[in-house]
Amino acid sequence: MRDIKIFYGFSHVLAEVAFALIPLSILFVFFQIFYLKLSKQKLINLAVGVVLTFIGLALFLQGVHVGFMPVGEQMGSVLGNLPNKWILIVIGFVLGFVATFAEPAVRILNYEVEKVSSGYIPQQLMLYTLSIGVAVSIALSMGRIIYGIPLWYFLVPGYLIALILIRFSTQTFVAIAFDSGGVATGPMTVTFVLAMAIGVASAVEGRDPLLDGFGMISLVALSPILSVLILGLLYGRKEKEIERECELEAEVNSNNYKKGNSQKDS
Amino acid sequence: MQSIKDTIHEVIFAVLPVAVVVFILQFTLIWLPMEVFLQFLVGLVMVTVGLILFFVGVHLGLLPIGEMIGSALPNTGKASLVVLFGFLMGFVVTVAEPDVRVLATQIDLVSQGEISKNLLIFVVALGVAIFVGLAMLRIILNIPINYILIIGYGLIFILAAFTPPHFIPISFDAGGVTTGPMTVPFILALGVGVARVLGGQSASADGFGLVALASIGPVLAVMLLGVIFG
Repeated sequence: MRDIKIFYGFSHVLAEVAFALIPLSILFVFFQIFYLKLSKQKLINLAVGVVLTFIGLALFLQGVHVGFMPVGEQMGSVLGNLPNKWILIVIGFVLGFVATFAEPAVRILNYEVEKVSSGYIPQQLMLYTLSIGVAVSIALSMGRIIYGIPLWYFLVPGYLIALILIRFSTQTFVAIAFDSGGVATGPMTVTFVLAMAIGVASAVEGRDPLLDGFGMISLVALSPILSVLILGLLYGRKEKEIERECELEAEVNSNNYKKGNSQKDS
Repeated sequence: MQSIKDTIHEVIFAVLPVAVVVFILQFTLIWLPMEVFLQFLVGLVMVTVGLILFFVGVHLGLLPIGEMIGSALPNTGKASLVVLFGFLMGFVVTVAEPDVRVLATQIDLVSQGEISKNLLIFVVALGVAIFVGLAMLRIILNIPINYILIIGYGLIFILAAFTPPHFIPISFDAGGVTTGPMTVPFILALGVGVARVLGGQSASADGFGLVALASIGPVLAVMLLGVIFG
């Protein structure tokens, strides 16, 4: 029990966090002097925030260093040595699903999409689509590692579909879709699940952790893009039909409405 | 106070489900020595507390700073200055992004120092910076986002043909982590602020899409790094 590491190497982490936050602080000081000129009270509030960020970031990185990374890798290598490697695909699926299903950032995105699609894409539908999307992404990443499939085989079709879908989606939907790439890569995915994948890649014979272990985040980031675009397309059609009906009605009523609508479209 | 409660709630829900699955795995399939598993629990507690403090701090300090700089930017009056500060903001925010640091650390470890952490963070930050600058330019010149996305991803796939294979997964992952808890709110605030003043009617649609552009930059940057490394 005495070998538990808690603050091992913490001074390095503190130095790292300081270097991470200094550039931002300098930029702020510049703006404060030349443009913002905030009052003392506001500055104190901001300073409290920056100090909290500093402590939080340091603890987070330390926890990743002493806990998630080493243990994630060990767990991965135990799993990579199991006789039935296909179970990794199942584990990947479950990890991806639970990580996304409960992730608050995902709920915010779902709310936003429901709003922008004026209710045509219900939050629940988005939630399940996204969670299954991320689950499949991590399952595929595990499959990639087990069978040594190049990342290309997934990325090229994924992005091709996305780029083709862009042509059929509205600007707002495209923007939201591509912005949402990040919501699925929650704090556990980048820290723990990735470490696990690297562990698996180093345990399975003939795999290069650098080549096969990484790439998972890119697949995870792709799934919300595809989910939003596909749902947008499926439900957009319904929306357009109703919009057209509205337009016809509006044409009868007044021409002003139509003007407003086409402006919104552009 | 309510927002702190919300933050605690958010972080726990982001962390707990995966932790539960790990618990189940540990006591069914993995059976790591108790000491090692305790190390995971130590990490879990530190990461959870760290994230809570981080988010509370970001809401109190960094986010307002980002919003204020974002809305002060257009008041400088010059388009060139807006682009320049967009560039600088992209850089400094990425340097502070936790996800970028974690990925860079892992790459450094796995490549046994060949791809050093600081070099990688610098390159990724530069990539984000250039594309945030471009995004500002896009808002000013009113270029549709679709064009830039298609050109950006087109470039990525062309460049990929010349990139050493082991740099490919890393570059795409680098694109994924730049959309972390720090960058997204910061860059969104910046974009909405700038679009409101410069973009005219379609402010909200212009503000969106910034994060997407910010994740193309690092992919290209890390690929270029790979080409140079050979």
